[in-house]
Amino acid sequence: MFSQKVDRRVFVKKMATSAAIVAAVSMFPGIIFADEQTQNIPKGDLDWKKAPCRFCGVGCGLLIGISKGKAVAVKGDPKSEVNKGLACVKGYHSVMALYGKDRLTKPLVKKNGVFVETSMKEALDLVASKMQETIKNHGKDAVSIYGSGQWSIADGYIASKLFKGCIGTNNIEANARLCMASAVTGFYTSFGADEPMGCYEDIDYANAYVLWGNNMAEMHPVLFSRMLDQKAKRKAKIIDFATRTTRTSLAADKSILFQPQTDLAVANAICYEIIKNNWVNKNFVAKHCKFNKGKINIGYGLTDDFKFKDEPEKIDFTEYKKFLEDYTPEKVARYSGVSAKDIKYMASIYGDPNMKVVSFWCMGPNQHTRGTWMNNLIYNIHLLTGKISTPGNSPFSLTGQPSACGTAREVGTFTHRLPSGFVNKKEVREFTAKIWGVPVENIPENPTHHTVSMFRALDRGEIKFMWIQVTNPMVTMPNLKRYRNGAEKEGRFIVVSDVYPTPTTDVADVILPSAMWIEKSGLFGNSERRTQHWDKMVNPPGEAMDDGMQLLEVANRLGYGKYFPYSKENYVEEIYNEYTKHHAGEKHGMVPIEVLKKESGMLWPYVKGKPTKWRYNSKYDPACKQEGFHFYGNEDGKAIIWQRPYEPAPEVPDAEYPFWLNTGRVVEHWHSGSMTRRISVLHKAMPNSYVEINPEEAKEMGIKNKDKVKLTTRRGSIVMIASVNERGIPTKGQVFVPFFDEHFLINELTLDSYCPISAEPDYKKCAVKVEKV
Amino acid sequence: MKQLKIISLVVVLMIAAVIIVGRSITATDERTSVEDDPNKFISENGAYNTATNVLDKKNIIDKNKSNNYYKNRAYQGAPPTIPHEVYESNMGDNSCLQCHQNGGYVDKFKAFAPIVPHPEMINCKQCHVAVKVNTVFKASNWESMNNIPQFSNKALPTSPPVIPHQLENNDDCLSCHAGSGLMKIRVTHPERTNCKQCHVLKVNEIKDVGEFVRIPKMIN
Repeated sequence: MFSQKVDRRVFVKKMATSAAIVAAVSMFPGIIFADEQTQNIPKGDLDWKKAPCRFCGVGCGLLIGISKGKAVAVKGDPKSEVNKGLACVKGYHSVMALYGKDRLTKPLVKKNGVFVETSMKEALDLVASKMQETIKNHGKDAVSIYGSGQWSIADGYIASKLFKGCIGTNNIEANARLCMASAVTGFYTSFGADEPMGCYEDIDYANAYVLWGNNMAEMHPVLFSRMLDQKAKRKAKIIDFATRTTRTSLAADKSILFQPQTDLAVANAICYEIIKNNWVNKNFVAKHCKFNKGKINIGYGLTDDFKFKDEPEKIDFTEYKKFLEDYTPEKVARYSGVSAKDIKYMASIYGDPNMKVVSFWCMGPNQHTRGTWMNNLIYNIHLLTGKISTPGNSPFSLTGQPSACGTAREVGTFTHRLPSGFVNKKEVREFTAKIWGVPVENIPENPTHHTVSMFRALDRGEIKFMWIQVTNPMVTMPNLKRYRNGAEKEGRFIVVSDVYPTPTTDVADVILPSAMWIEKSGLFGNSERRTQHWDKMVNPPGEAMDDGMQLLEVANRLGYGKYFPYSKENYVEEIYNEYTKHHAGEKHGMVPIEVLKKESGMLWPYVKGKPTKWRYNSKYDPACKQEGFHFYGNEDGKAIIWQRPYEPAPEVPDAEYPFWLNTGRVVEHWHSGSMTRRISVLHKAMPNSYVEINPEEAKEMGIKNKDKVKLTTRRGSIVMIASVNERGIPTKGQVFVPFFDEHFLINELTLDSYCPISAEPDYKKCAVKVEKV
Repeated sequence: MKQLKIISLVVVLMIAAVIIVGRSITATDERTSVEDDPNKFISENGAYNTATNVLDKKNIIDKNKSNNYYKNRAYQGAPPTIPHEVYESNMGDNSCLQCHQNGGYVDKFKAFAPIVPHPEMINCKQCHVAVKVNTVFKASNWESMNNIPQFSNKALPTSPPVIPHQLENNDDCLSCHAGSGLMKIRVTHPERTNCKQCHVLKVNEIKDVGEFVRIPKMIN
């Protein structure tokens, strides 16, 4: 660790020299006149403008250096409360993603299997007429839009208003379904309202951070650096609970490895220990919590006709305590791979009344066939100990995309959502229709398809038209072959708006070139409820147009222009002002645009000119209607502790497919790599994906680092390069593959099982065979 | 009476003790008095941090003139890439800092190790990545703005030059301007560590508020 050694002699010497310099300066004051100094330096024309980072859900504030109409440099925004001036390697090089030579600059239309250049006007005419034709021949529910958590707020808002409010179909989804749907259902089932109660500032107060399957050193590096800083300064502890040894494990105070899927059991065992050792915050639980159980053996969504609805049932503390008896540390140690001692250690971190604890998680618990349950279970731990909604005590669900919260969750670009609530609620539809200015009958009552179901419907042919914006599903859908075949079938019409050619544009009938990030104005919302605004800084190349404007142009062509009375120059701001009406009030008040233009982001609920840092705590949250805590998302003001058992994964390793296949990300690349791979610095550092194999098992199989290895699952096989003893080391019986590389489409091998409650697929667990080739 | 006083005093003390202990146990919702340091990542934070380490190395002269400073950055101010092999599974404090905290000659690479200006940040590979291949995924139109800062930026022949570059995460001047730094930018007086006393920042992002015009005071 860094330490500073100043010995006395050096110190005295330094003092003496500085004293001498001070004396010299006082004698010759002229030498420090700054103005004269700077006179003969050529004036640079770098203009620094603020923007949130384009990549992950951390939402770092950046300053973009603009020179002669081009983005040329980046630095962290010191005013941003998120990153305080630091960024990560993707952020620092983010502007290079604008300038790839193969940027899409002209619309392309597929004619006889070949893409032909056309004008934007003709391409948009074609999209609109195809939509009209499909609706006429096959009904409203035959058209759909699939967007993303990288949609800016305005883009997502227009998409939702067009499809739900004008066309009249709930066929709108976003890739955020693949990313944090379980976090949302976790929040709704436990608290009745979405998004974290705390904020990143919790890092500055916590004594311990427990990371649940979350390699933050690579995936949320800026927050991880904030934690490392607290570790150095205050000896805050980092506990890495994971299935792989990663950079995070190396920096952690304790690395605890578990077998895939057994996190459910370990979480319950922690609760068992907390109760057994009398660490329950009885006062808090009695006043603010109630106990529920739901259905068990809930399935995995593997068939097209799968349906599930949970039926919550009230239970009492005694019943819950009895349920936990199956989860003593000793019993759980038998199948989780975690020793009873380590389980007790984790429990003691949460149980110690003098410890403030933040739990962080992202894709580990979310991309999980019991994702909602995992989220519930982590909340259980924090609720039992009362460690919630206070500075430093925070169960903190992180997101992966820059506006997964801001757009997908808050605007509600999902089949079952509207901005202010659920689409199947009459009062929500009425309220929304009023603000949208559309007839309420336009908005259909019943949700249609979640993402996996939507692509299945495309495959079956119930959906004929799909517009894909800001995402690359032909790299990222699980069980990819089925959905790519579906998209390529006769009679399907696929429109793709993107900035570069991708495997998804390959299956398109029309490719629309998009403007990205700082080529337009926009707003994002990050993991901690922070909304951030940026201004357009550079012009998009060629005919590239931003996604929201593409939607507006098509809306006009479909005859819905009157519902979108925004000006071309300022529509982002006008839409935001309309959008904030959906959330007016103390519980979700959005930050006014004037504030966002000035500040480097601001948290909602924004009440009487103040952001709310800790929700549900009357000390900080004006929406609380009682002293102390008030979980106002639920009608009775109480949070729910859920009885959720351990259930196995749908496909477990067996004799034929003896390994778990886990997938994920690396620090250099973001998602499917369509942007980051075009940044030379990042590509040179991480040119292709690989398969990480446990070193002992690699030795047994005679596989050395960089050998070629064949992976086979029940859905396909792929040959790729082995990585042994490099960046990450999976536990025995498991291999890991990053998914960014379109040359090695690992999702052709993954399984499209999902959490029945959230409908989020599990990309982390299926059975795979590993062979040396 | 005296006994009663003593007993009551003991009782009061006991009650107080119970209250204090009880509070400290249940006081999990209270905000601790953690020193909040919002300036953590702000530019000038580490200005004096490693200077002493560099002082001892002021006499090192790097004969190897080829300096990678500009070559390894995508633009001026970008975090440099790592030009040598690194072990994937190491973290900053157990590997990178061994050479880069204090610098010095590294025989293995036949080069002087640059000194890191921010050794307190140990997740090095968050910003600095190794170069593993020299290909590109797709060609790019990116033009590096690596205009090398002016070296003759003095107002008078004898006046101290101004600082022609940004300082973010580069706050320890001597990590570049002494020891193993590029010859051209090596400072003649590394023992003076209050650099910004004489060298002021010339940055383009400071907004010009226009010339100051004194409004003459009206005298009746």
